[in-house]
Amino acid sequence: MNIKFAILALMLFVLASPMMAQTADHSWSAPLAAGLGMGIASGLCALGQGKAVASSAEALARNPGAAPLIRFALILGLALIESLALYTLVIIFLKV
Amino acid sequence: MEHELGFTKLFNDYIPGVANAILGIFGQHAHNPERPWANFVTMQILVTLIIMVLFAILSPKISMDRPGKLQHIFEALYTFLHDQAQEIVGHHGHRYLYLFATFFIFILFANLIGIIPAFESPTMFPPVPLGCALVAFLYYHAQGVIEQGTWKYLKHFAGPVWWLTPLMIPIELISHLARPMSLTIRLFANMFAGEQVTLVFLKMVPLFIPVIFMGMHVFVAFLQAYIFTLLAMVYVAGAVAHEEH
Repeated sequence: MNIKFAILALMLFVLASPMMAQTADHSWSAPLAAGLGMGIASGLCALGQGKAVASSAEALARNPGAAPLIRFALILGLALIESLALYTLVIIFLKV
Repeated sequence: MEHELGFTKLFNDYIPGVANAILGIFGQHAHNPERPWANFVTMQILVTLIIMVLFAILSPKISMDRPGKLQHIFEALYTFLHDQAQEIVGHHGHRYLYLFATFFIFILFANLIGIIPAFESPTMFPPVPLGCALVAFLYYHAQGVIEQGTWKYLKHFAGPVWWLTPLMIPIELISHLARPMSLTIRLFANMFAGEQVTLVFLKMVPLFIPVIFMGMHVFVAFLQAYIFTLLAMVYVAGAVAHEEH
């Protein structure tokens, strides 16, 4: 019952904000989307990179002789994952 | 962002005609014909001049018996790039080393020149990474065609078996077109974001803290130059690879 009230309150809050404006002023939506989008992109990118670093650290611990190869794969993987989060940043700079 | 640097001001004051003439050859017009040189163009020219002067100083001093410090640095750089090329592209990797080393040195110097206060990284503006990425794109396709012949190279896009071709060709096309885009955006966004982060922290805390972010920007500059070169090598390796059965 409490969770239903909470969801209802949240919906009313979200719906109420445009009603408070007399004119159709949507200038708050682009920065909000930018912030949320960048947050999601950075969070998911961090998860992916964390997994990459974790598995490469484990591989280094198990096989220290293969360090150059593992390091190469690690750096390549990290840069490719990072670039995905940066695509979001580019869209933000284009649209906001 | 359009603040004109002192170096660019020199170009715009004394030789605006050259820029207008070059743009006119391609049918383009500058935004402001009075001051046609853009910051990133003059910064690229400066980076090229610095690299040429550096190599002009280095060349006569190369000696087998008593190598100096500069020679050691460049030998280490050359060995590093040569070994990477051999490892990634195969036995004939050294054939393509000219372009890979050019990418690495140019992008490294272009990234690093932004740290110096009166200059800006040309790689911070989209056209410069785009140019480098297009060169890499055209180069690996050209090398693939040279190495394997036109028809055989195009057959690689069709996939391993003939009945997968209608599926493979759009996938391969999109993934190949995504490569220059990703190279461009990766380099541009890393340099741009590094500078913006430093500026944001400079606005908030004028002492000490921005230095940490500038340090990170230096590290990212090296890393991004290396990653661009590495990906160019990987693409060339994919294009010239001969399948061993």
